[in-house]
Amino acid sequence: MSLERVLSSDGKTLTIVLDDKFDFSKVQEFRDTYSDDIDRVDTVVVDLGNTEYMDSSALGMLLNMQKTLKEQVSEFQIVNSRPSVAKILQISRFDKKFTIK
Amino acid sequence: MRILIVDDEPVNRFLLSHMLEENGFTDCHEAEDGEQGLAMAEELVPDIVLLDVVMPGMSGHEVAPKLKALQTDIYLPIIFITALDDEESLVKCLSVGGDDFVGKPFNKTILSAKLKAHARIRMLSKRAYKQNLELQFHQQHIEREHAIVEHIFSNVLTLNQRLAKYIDSHLAPASNFNGDMLLIERSPGAGLYILLGDFTGHGLASAIGALPVTRAFQTMAEKGISVGEMAETLNKTLLDFLPDGMFFAAAIIEVNENGRTLDIWNGGLPHLILFDSQGKIKKRFESAHMALGILDPEDFENDVVRFEADYDDQVLGYTDGVIELSNDDGVMLSEEGLEQWVESVPGVSTAQLMQKIEQYRAVGEQDDDISMFIYKAQELGLKKQIATLPEAPFQLSVSVGYTQFARANPVSEIIDLLSGQAAFHGLRSNIFTVISELYNNALDHGILKLDSELKTSPDGFMEYFSQREERISNLSEGHIKVSVEYSVEPPQLHFTVHDSGDGFDTSTIKSEVDSDENYGRGVALVNELCDHFEYQQNGTVAVAKFLIDQDCW
Repeated sequence: MSLERVLSSDGKTLTIVLDDKFDFSKVQEFRDTYSDDIDRVDTVVVDLGNTEYMDSSALGMLLNMQKTLKEQVSEFQIVNSRPSVAKILQISRFDKKFTIK
Repeated sequence: MRILIVDDEPVNRFLLSHMLEENGFTDCHEAEDGEQGLAMAEELVPDIVLLDVVMPGMSGHEVAPKLKALQTDIYLPIIFITALDDEESLVKCLSVGGDDFVGKPFNKTILSAKLKAHARIRMLSKRAYKQNLELQFHQQHIEREHAIVEHIFSNVLTLNQRLAKYIDSHLAPASNFNGDMLLIERSPGAGLYILLGDFTGHGLASAIGALPVTRAFQTMAEKGISVGEMAETLNKTLLDFLPDGMFFAAAIIEVNENGRTLDIWNGGLPHLILFDSQGKIKKRFESAHMALGILDPEDFENDVVRFEADYDDQVLGYTDGVIELSNDDGVMLSEEGLEQWVESVPGVSTAQLMQKIEQYRAVGEQDDDISMFIYKAQELGLKKQIATLPEAPFQLSVSVGYTQFARANPVSEIIDLLSGQAAFHGLRSNIFTVISELYNNALDHGILKLDSELKTSPDGFMEYFSQREERISNLSEGHIKVSVEYSVEPPQLHFTVHDSGDGFDTSTIKSEVDSDENYGRGVALVNELCDHFEYQQNGTVAVAKFLIDQDCW
């Protein structure tokens, strides 16, 4: 299991922890992390602390998640990005759509 | 027991030999005078000599010291045979080197008892001699081994000379095998790493851990690993091989490129003291963690204290040997004592602190390992890019055929191959993004002719990826070649992704980085991340170039 999914005890915050590589090979796995068991979720946190490599399909996957969940989730966060990943997020102006911490 | 009888009277020799034989001393030899006695002694190496005093030629008194000189390492008992019984001649016998005497005529019982007594001493002396030889052998052996280890230590533990100027330090030389160590390395980001540590115990056993720590520290420094991660890795390394009860108290400091932003992890060392140029203490970096080599990785905490110092502030790190040294009254110096010194001498140096230590320390007290360093916040003036670039140009390429598209990951392969070169470390995340982009474009659009617009809706997004899988499995031709070329003047990496498809109208590429769509960001990202990018040959060839200079780090 390379991706980790953590639901807070109140069921409101879903945290998705990626591994070192976030690219198209993670499409299905990433989709699975937010497909079920999200009834009460209003905040999604994507933890990129382990991620060293990322490409634009990962950006697509993040936006796709946002589009899928936007009816019920009010807060999307991306946390712990390393400098190279933060740069990609910044170039892509992801701060407009995600809270980047 | 070999006995040599030296007597000019044949009768005496016969009598003595006979008596000795009766008492079990069967290895007896006879000499007629002093000269023959010495010659035989040299050849036979007797255990005891029975020596007549009055002989023609050399007297027994003359022979005795010469006999002793033949066997200086082992005690050789010389028993004089004498008819004289006046005090003076008996004293003379002993003073020239004799050990005992028997009177003439011979008393068999006394003679035998004396021989047995001297034989015992002779045996003891022989055994002691043998043990001595063994000891000497072992000592030489250990000395030789120490010399070898010292050689290795002095090579490994020598403070990086080019960086030594940045710190003022005092520590016992590595040849003493103390358990303290001080290391300094530069970071790829033009800053510094400093490590001060103290293994439990003293001597060779405690110093041995210094080797893996040094190597690991140097490797991590070269890669620019954060202080917290360094501590974590060292902890795991030490946990694996240090025996229980042995650990490594250490502080690791990263000095930022600016020379004054400090990240400090302190596990088990006395607090580091940061003071300004007036000696005023501004900050103490207490040990916030257990020493390295104790905690399991899951319990290990790698959090670090960051501090913005001002230029000319100084940070002092030291091992517990400093504060635990006692004066004549048995009072330990303690942290407070050390801080008082720091405050009383503005801009104090380790040499000045050592002077204070010498004055304070009780006379004749054997000190513990004492190590310390002072780093003064300053403009470092280091250049970024620590790794040396490859001297010669190289090319490598990965070709993926249509049967391999489903599983092959040429992007990762290229990254793995390039990661062997430390010089490219700072670039590899960007390289990944760029060639991943180009490869996926070549595959999705060049070979599979997928339509990105599918990705607009969430369902379409997933549909896109299932179509992708399906088309890959239905392929009957096609290949993609990813090549890298490194050239030296100027240093650059040149990536080419070539697909066997029909190409496409490159003017249709969407490239808005902040598009709302789930697609179309790729080419824009590529343009931002590398130094030059273009499509060639109707879009079947994508070329991206990275210049390798300091700005890429």
